[in-house]
Amino acid sequence: MASSASSATPNIEIEFALLAEHRIYLMRIARMELRDEHAAEDCVSDVLTQAYERRAAFRGDSSLRTWLTSILKNRVIDLLRKQWREQPIEETPSGEQDFDDLFDETGHYAQMPSHVRDPAELCQEEGFLSAVQRCIDRLPKRIGQVFVLREVLGTDTRELCKDLGLTTSNVWVQLYRARMMLRTCLEKTGFGNAQPG
Amino acid sequence: MRSLARQKMLRLSCQQASRLLSQQQDEPLPFGKRVRLRLHLMYCDACTNVSRQFDTLRLAMLKWRDRD
Repeated sequence: MASSASSATPNIEIEFALLAEHRIYLMRIARMELRDEHAAEDCVSDVLTQAYERRAAFRGDSSLRTWLTSILKNRVIDLLRKQWREQPIEETPSGEQDFDDLFDETGHYAQMPSHVRDPAELCQEEGFLSAVQRCIDRLPKRIGQVFVLREVLGTDTRELCKDLGLTTSNVWVQLYRARMMLRTCLEKTGFGNAQPG
Repeated sequence: MRSLARQKMLRLSCQQASRLLSQQQDEPLPFGKRVRLRLHLMYCDACTNVSRQFDTLRLAMLKWRDRD
């Protein structure tokens, strides 16, 4: 009796353990996206459960992590759609006047933006990545959420519009604001180049 | 006179160029905008730097996601 059960059990355990190995990775993204520890935990539990239930659909032509990321993305979109339906976004102006104070009266940068010498090298630095994370956490919530959906979860603008009910120009404005706020935030340390030399 | 006015109309401010730089991160720009942006970048160091900053942000997010 026991032996017949154990022949099936180990496989199942290994599979769930395999999925759960990615929990920390999924949590990091969910936390940044949802900005709420409990919501992130619930979300990641749902993702792992869903992945486990649909494990037959995983075909191995992408990595397990990529597959889990796409499940997370869909789950996040569902959650945000509900949240945003309950608290609709205020009609966003075109963004034409955004960041006026960064520009002089002729529309040119009042201060020279920093030159990033070597983006690839800079992005290897743990300190820079932490600075980016801190700047993202400081973005207005919804702007940060759209940005993380776009850049971390790889959602394209068409999906953002269709699945979240945003207009194209609204998506552009949100992403533009996110990028400009992030570059302003990172300029405070000279975009990683503040150290002389 | 007329050509000067025309030039002015075609010329992007850094503020406009920055919006296009961001938009370009998300989808291909229509031809006219792409040309005007490229012309702007040819003489504008500030927006060239911003363009590189945007590229850096994209790379940083991927590295942040995949670290450990």
